[in-house]
Amino acid sequence: MPTAVRSKSFIALALLPALLLFVVFVIIPIFWSAYYGVFEWKGIGASRFIGLDNYREILQDHIFWRALKNNLILVVSAIIGQIPIALLLALVLLKNSFFSRFIRSAVFMPMVLSTVVVGLIWGYIYHPQFGLLNTMLEAIGLDSWTHAWLSEPNINILAITIPINWSNIGPYMLIFIAALQNISPEIHDAANIDGARGGRKLFNVTLPMIWSTVVVTMVLCISGSLKAFDHVMVMTHGGPAQSTELLATYMYNNTFRVYRYGYGSAVSTIIMIISALLIGINYLLTRRKAE
Amino acid sequence: MELRTTQATGANLDSHNRKLVKKGLSGLGKLVLIGYAIFTLYPLYWLFISAFKTNEDFFNRPYALPLVWMRENIFRAWELGKMGKAMFNSTFVTISSVILTLILGILAGYVLSRFQFRFKRVAVSLFMAGLLIPIHSTLVPLFLMMKEMNLLNTYGALILPYTAFELPIAIFLAMGYMASIPREIEEAAMIDGSGWWGVFGRVIFPLCTPIVATISILAFLRFWNDFSFALVFINSQALKTLPLSLALFSDGFGTDYSLTMGAMAIAVIPTIVVYLILQDQIMKGMVAGSIKG
Repeated sequence: MPTAVRSKSFIALALLPALLLFVVFVIIPIFWSAYYGVFEWKGIGASRFIGLDNYREILQDHIFWRALKNNLILVVSAIIGQIPIALLLALVLLKNSFFSRFIRSAVFMPMVLSTVVVGLIWGYIYHPQFGLLNTMLEAIGLDSWTHAWLSEPNINILAITIPINWSNIGPYMLIFIAALQNISPEIHDAANIDGARGGRKLFNVTLPMIWSTVVVTMVLCISGSLKAFDHVMVMTHGGPAQSTELLATYMYNNTFRVYRYGYGSAVSTIIMIISALLIGINYLLTRRKAE
Repeated sequence: MELRTTQATGANLDSHNRKLVKKGLSGLGKLVLIGYAIFTLYPLYWLFISAFKTNEDFFNRPYALPLVWMRENIFRAWELGKMGKAMFNSTFVTISSVILTLILGILAGYVLSRFQFRFKRVAVSLFMAGLLIPIHSTLVPLFLMMKEMNLLNTYGALILPYTAFELPIAIFLAMGYMASIPREIEEAAMIDGSGWWGVFGRVIFPLCTPIVATISILAFLRFWNDFSFALVFINSQALKTLPLSLALFSDGFGTDYSLTMGAMAIAVIPTIVVYLILQDQIMKGMVAGSIKG
């Protein structure tokens, strides 16, 4: 066996590169953005210490609240859209038949596309003049239902939730299939003997068995929805009139369009805090439910 | 006696009906599933047919197959969008980052799963916290840091943060997998006189093939499709990756829809091919990667 000294040097040499890269590019920036957040700085020239003014300004900026509201709409639409649909698909496609394998592949397919491509395709689908959605509505005589999907405030953020959900259901479905396959057949037998069927079996047996997975998917939905950026950047840039602004696009536009680095950093820090809060709240809520 | 028969037939009828209902339901269910599959595949199909249309054809007959199959769209998109360069950049950045992620991630995963040392718990919880950190909250400071380090507009501006952000999931998967490798294997190799590096390189790493595949695929999809890092850290035309040049493409050629569709068709083909070939492994990888993430 090697001497302690030799394994110590192995530990250090094998772990340090990963640790260093991770700390420099992931951990330090978090603290650095909190630090930059207390300055007013245009990216060049001198920065001026202004204490918590940036944070105060953010909290009074109605665009920030609009962005937060839009992000929360995405969170809710992910939790009530992606999770139930994915769970339903998983329950039906659990069997390993050719048919269910085919459907699974189809459902997962959008996931491998770049978010930019998803955004662009759906941007065209929503196009007011020649978009697939409006021409389809006109073809079936529902002319009054047509909209300028991405430019009408209040409709547009809902329109944006569709492509996001469309491309994210696949992975959640796979997670649920894996969890369902882990339930031992004896539990199904026991439930059948007790006469549990359909909905009752789902809510009293299956769901509690995979509850921890449901919680994990909720956390993934929350953190995923707070990360949303690409689709909106490609489809609307956050407009028109900032009606589709999200926290991340708000951060981006403030930093890289109007060059307020300090302000953008403060927004970054707030995104961090909000994620932590939401994940914490979800943890508390779902834990109580499980007990 | 008679009563009993009636009851029996009643029960039979009942179960017969139930079977019929079940069959009908599963037929209906299948239809719904096929409908859902069409909902997920149709936009892609539409992308491919539109890529071969003239603009008028695209406006006037959005659902129909192209009147004339315009293969020129694809060539023009390739030329005008400088997509060869973008394809090279995406490939180079993605492959380098995947290799770096694999080496660093599996080594770190090995150390963290096998050895006891003082800061182990700190290191593990640091990496695991990384699974939940929203990347956009680090964009501004990363941009400023890289400006200081003169990294902006280099391949490193993408390779280093890609790897750093993928390490938590890679380490997590690697640690999980190492737990299934029996320790006796290492002891045997030690007795043969290998040092730890030898044990890792000759014994452990080769045993990790399944998890290497999983980590690579997850990382590949993430790096190949990334938009936000490329958008912020890359300005130079020569270094643009595919998603970035596509987004700009649609701004620059905004009115030439079939050209933009052509460019998108080119860009999605590699991932779709990879997906179709590696489907099973991707699905396994997704499950392994996210179930505990």
